[in-house]
Amino acid sequence: MTVATGADTGATFALEDEDHTLANALRFLLNKNPHVSFVGYSIPHPSEKVVNLRIQTTGELTAVEALRQACQSLKQLCGHMRSTFTEAYEQYEQTQGSDESP
Amino acid sequence: MLSNRRLPDLKIRDLRDDYCEFELSNTDVSMANALRRVMLVEVPTIAVDLVEIEQNTTVLNDEFIAHRLGLIPLVSTAVHHMKGPFDDIGEKDFTDVELSLHVLCTSDDTQDVTSNDFILDHQHPEVYPVGYSDSRMQSEDAERPILIVKMRKNQELKLKAIARKGIGKDHAKWIPVATVTFQHKPQISINRALMDTLDEKVKEAFVDASPSHALSYNSVTKQVEVTETEAYMYDGEYEKMAQELHHPDLITITQSDNEFIFRVEGTGVLSVEDVIITAVDVLTAKLRNLQQALPPPEQNEGEN
Repeated sequence: MTVATGADTGATFALEDEDHTLANALRFLLNKNPHVSFVGYSIPHPSEKVVNLRIQTTGELTAVEALRQACQSLKQLCGHMRSTFTEAYEQYEQTQGSDESP
Repeated sequence: MLSNRRLPDLKIRDLRDDYCEFELSNTDVSMANALRRVMLVEVPTIAVDLVEIEQNTTVLNDEFIAHRLGLIPLVSTAVHHMKGPFDDIGEKDFTDVELSLHVLCTSDDTQDVTSNDFILDHQHPEVYPVGYSDSRMQSEDAERPILIVKMRKNQELKLKAIARKGIGKDHAKWIPVATVTFQHKPQISINRALMDTLDEKVKEAFVDASPSHALSYNSVTKQVEVTETEAYMYDGEYEKMAQELHHPDLITITQSDNEFIFRVEGTGVLSVEDVIITAVDVLTAKLRNLQQALPPPEQNEGEN
């Protein structure tokens, strides 16, 4: 990843080897952050595996910090989803009895 | 600081060897779609990647056969211990699984060359074609093997197929599932007051307006009821009918934007629950990667 341009409150991140999967999820979370005034991403060329993510903040925090927080949130979300799934899976296996192979 | 995210709920509705249906709620489309996309193209599996043909006198050319071999699903539970061809490789890591095949047709009848004719890698016998049963101990209830090519007398096929770890982004043969879909849960609400102004015949016709039969008419209570919310296909037929009756407010159908129904169909390569768990892990790894690439924080901000 490279920070292409930017002052503290506004930066463009070039995420290599990434696509809509990560960029859209990050954009969504960043958009919910009240200290972020603008966030958007673009994939300049479909055959180049790179995403440009632009973040501008209102000044309370730096763009890098905003991205770091978004990553943290998304990671917690993933962790939560993993444990919820495992829990639901174990519960389902229990209620179904042992007639099914795991 | 992190109040701008919600923790999703998950409920498994159905889980079989090759199918899983679950409800993901209290989250957003971006999350649901990220999960779907990762399950489809970023969960690694094993597939034949390189084929060395020694002898091929069949009717199909080498490339054609190589392509067919690539598409044969291989049981990929070993993928978690395997390294990809471009990863850093340690002493104990392995990247290649070598399957071989040698068939010579000696009978006067047409002979099938199938996935059962593979001779497995003796170092990695856990990697084998889905539904594989050794030709020497063929049982009657075995799954039908996958056909590679048909032969006539004196034709021969001898080759070495090297299977490797890969992801669906690079080639569709590595996709671990048949399909993954998510659907927004429909929300159907009927305007009772307006509905009561209609007579029986119209109500019955209204219920039949959409072939999805999400609604039904209860002849005892003389009410239109929502019976199969999820059967609704967003075909707009009920709304159209409501328009025609000059009561556009008769029914309101919206898509819930925080409840999703996921349907994952496996191919037998990995169990569906493994696909889902691995997808979440892949997504987490991506984020960890990104976080590490970010410049270190200047001061310690309130994270929790």
